[in-house]
Amino acid sequence: MTSPLLQVEDLHTYIGSQHILQGVDVEVPAGTVTVLLGRNGAGKTTTLRSILGLWKPARGRVVFAGQDITGWPTHAIARLGVGYVPEHRAIFRSLTVEENLRIAERRKGDFQRRRDFLFDLFPDLARLAHWPAGQLSGGQQQMLAIARALVPENRLLLIDEPSEGLAPVLIEHLIEAIRALSASLTVLLVEQNFHVARRLGVHYAILEHGRTVHQGRMSDLLAQPDLIHRYLGVTV
Amino acid sequence: MDRQGAVFFLAWLTATWAPPLTVAGMVATTQGRSVVDVVCAKGGTAFVFAGVGVLVALLLSVVLARYWPMPWRQWVERHGWRLWMLSLLMLMPYVLAWLTRSSACRRGPAFFWESIFIETFILALLAVSYNLVFGFAGILSFGHAAFFGLGAYVTGLLMKHLGWNLFLSGAVALLTGAVLGLFMSLVALRTRGLYFALFSLAMAEVIHLLARNRILVHITGAEDGFVFSVPEWINPVRHRLLFYYLALVSLVVAFAFVYRLILSPTGRVFLALRDNETRAQMLGFGPLGYKTFALVISGLLASYAGILRALLNKGASPNVLSLDFTMDPLLMTILGGTATFDGPVVGAFLLRFVEHVLRNAQFRVGPWSINLGEHWALLLGLLFIAAVLLFPQGLMGSRQKGQETP
Amino acid sequence: MTQGHPASPHRRAVLAASLFLVGVVVLNVFLFPPAQVGVILLSGLYQAMLFFLVASGLAIIFGLLDVLNLAQGAFFMLGAYVGFGVYRLLGEGLALGVRFAAALLAALLIGGLLGALVERWLIRPLYVRPLFQIVLTLGLAMVLREAVRTLYGPAGLIPIQPPAPLRTTLTVLGAQFETYRVFIIGMGGGLMLATWLLLRRTRLGMVIRAGVEDREMVEALGIPVGRVFTLAFALGSGLAALGGIIAAPYIGAYPEMGDVFLLNAIIVVVLGGMGSFEGTMMASLLVGLTRATAEQISLEYLDTPLLASVSILLIMILVLLVRPSGLFGSEP
Repeated sequence: MTSPLLQVEDLHTYIGSQHILQGVDVEVPAGTVTVLLGRNGAGKTTTLRSILGLWKPARGRVVFAGQDITGWPTHAIARLGVGYVPEHRAIFRSLTVEENLRIAERRKGDFQRRRDFLFDLFPDLARLAHWPAGQLSGGQQQMLAIARALVPENRLLLIDEPSEGLAPVLIEHLIEAIRALSASLTVLLVEQNFHVARRLGVHYAILEHGRTVHQGRMSDLLAQPDLIHRYLGVTV
Repeated sequence: MDRQGAVFFLAWLTATWAPPLTVAGMVATTQGRSVVDVVCAKGGTAFVFAGVGVLVALLLSVVLARYWPMPWRQWVERHGWRLWMLSLLMLMPYVLAWLTRSSACRRGPAFFWESIFIETFILALLAVSYNLVFGFAGILSFGHAAFFGLGAYVTGLLMKHLGWNLFLSGAVALLTGAVLGLFMSLVALRTRGLYFALFSLAMAEVIHLLARNRILVHITGAEDGFVFSVPEWINPVRHRLLFYYLALVSLVVAFAFVYRLILSPTGRVFLALRDNETRAQMLGFGPLGYKTFALVISGLLASYAGILRALLNKGASPNVLSLDFTMDPLLMTILGGTATFDGPVVGAFLLRFVEHVLRNAQFRVGPWSINLGEHWALLLGLLFIAAVLLFPQGLMGSRQKGQETP
Repeated sequence: MTQGHPASPHRRAVLAASLFLVGVVVLNVFLFPPAQVGVILLSGLYQAMLFFLVASGLAIIFGLLDVLNLAQGAFFMLGAYVGFGVYRLLGEGLALGVRFAAALLAALLIGGLLGALVERWLIRPLYVRPLFQIVLTLGLAMVLREAVRTLYGPAGLIPIQPPAPLRTTLTVLGAQFETYRVFIIGMGGGLMLATWLLLRRTRLGMVIRAGVEDREMVEALGIPVGRVFTLAFALGSGLAALGGIIAAPYIGAYPEMGDVFLLNAIIVVVLGGMGSFEGTMMASLLVGLTRATAEQISLEYLDTPLLASVSILLIMILVLLVRPSGLFGSEP
């Protein structure tokens, strides 16, 4: 196995006075989908935000592509090629769909170059290009948030709870889209829905109370139903 | 434990005042003069006795508390320096009389200085009330002057035009303050921080504009304000010493009240709501009652300060309704320490005395002669910026950390 | 381009504001002779433009940074003084028009520069304590006003001369009206359009609008938001300073000149729903016209200017009571 694209070591993060992350270790091998699993409040979202520098970690290391990026300003981390798809579809509601995509340009013309690819991947967005994004349906907003992260040439996507609140049909579409992406990208995915996670993830890491309690290959995890039941409360 | 504190405080008060009064009484009988004459004698002879009394009482209590596990030990440890300050302020008229070789209760230099202290007590009272809203409840208000000014206007106007007596007028003024606080809280509950600040600013401005305007000139005297006659027994010119103690006691009572309130379970909810409204709500504390409570209490205290101010000046001008009387308590609170108990009081003293000293100061820097008094507002602004940037905790902020502020 | 857009979420607010504006105009027609109505409306527009120049900065800065910049009135005042200074500095030799244009430009640039410095050195350390930012800008306003009072005296400066064509009067529907007021209206309208285009058609504008909604996400896209904040702050203070020098030939330059405009701009921003640029435009018109009408009513029917200042304060209080986040603000 080659060295991982992203490596998180013993990450500790405080929010206010609360010690949310108490030692998270995650390895994200290049070119695959890694899923962060765990119950509500286990620290999955905080891990993503700490990687991006939206929370400043108090201890530990984040290494991306061989570079120690711990404590870097968020925009600098993003410019290394890290895309973020936050939970609750944080698109810019008052901007049009096209503006939402244009704003993600890191070099002039990024959007033009990617336009056909994106609109091919998410045909709805082409049709609604000039609508204010706030008027889109939940599923369309989620597609837009993902598309936005694809405008610049990113090497790693951090995707937070993409399937939350989506209808089953849309989830299928989403899974297809993420699979198509993972051919050329590395993805770190937070997914509450285990049935989605198991189909997408090649690797996994389970968090509990702000600590990594398990990580490895998804195929190994699926062979241990008791583990899944203990940490995720899901019966396979 | 707190009842013991109260008992101790009363005992301490008695110990402070009994010796000097006894001595004054003895001097009076041996010399065939009245006690008042002795107390008011030029140079404040009584000061010596009072001072000795206070020192003895304080030393006794502190020493006792230190070396024996007295029940009030904790109380002295917590309030020790406040006791020193309070005794100093109680003595201040005599110190002034002694320093200026004049009488503490008849016209003269000491008389003048007492009025400065009275003004400061009133401003400190206003700042304490402001801190309750801004510091402890976390509501930024730009309309605090409305409470203060209305207290002064309502009392004065009722007494002047309707001939009501002081207590009735004062009660109505306090009620007005409470009702205004209630009304403001209706908006405070519905809006985010800034909108409330602006709403309160607009409210205060409307009242200020109305008071200045010539439409109501027969009632309010418009720009010039009005004067009214104060009952003889409280006339600050004749009985300034009495007024001095009235203002001081008012401040102490207000301070103690806010102190007790914030350290009570109710006060903890205040702080919880200020720090994290959503979280406090999840614990089952709605902001409804608490924010209203804070604003109403604060309105009452500020109106009371306004009443004192009207009595002191025997009148009021629209100035008391202007933004100045919102900015002053705000700056005092920040300077002294937001959300601390002593902060607003310390801030008030600092600001008022720095202002008084600088008002008449002339400095020579090389060829330039600078009259700082003329540029007081400039200094005030710089102080504002410096306080916010450099001393975010205020003077008292770091001192009280972890000790009293929950 | 716009076809297929669903209705704006602020449709009701726009409708209410438009109805109110129409109401004010109708009230004018009803109360005053036609010639006077023209003057009142022009006067309302002229006030609206000046309020807008101060208020747009307030709105942008508030939307983006959550800071209510109470020093905005002081920037307005400084703009006038800087403009006057440059105008005098350039001396008699140059054409009046050139001196005047240079004064405008200098006010805009120096106001902007000052705003950038203030944001960088005073506001930025306080992003974690928003209430204190407001207090800081208040202190800054005091310092700037008093510094100017100390340096130039409390009386103010004698107004400078705009170029000759702007010193004439126009006859509007039989009533005399200074050309300079029309110039102010024109300038204000132009700047309104320019700011609108900047926000709608440029990348900086797009980033500002996105930042108003969610600054973390903008940052996460790789855009250094701090620099955008500084630029936006500079833009806001620059516009206010420009407003000051534009108004100065008409009202002069004195230390407190910004205070009245700040108060009105605050009302505009509250009515417009902080952070909404279109709301600010609409609310400026509303406040300007209401003030002008109330002034005229005061003058004709009451013998005090009370109504002009109280009327808009009351409107603001009412709006906040009914809609706590402003006319165009989104409900939380």
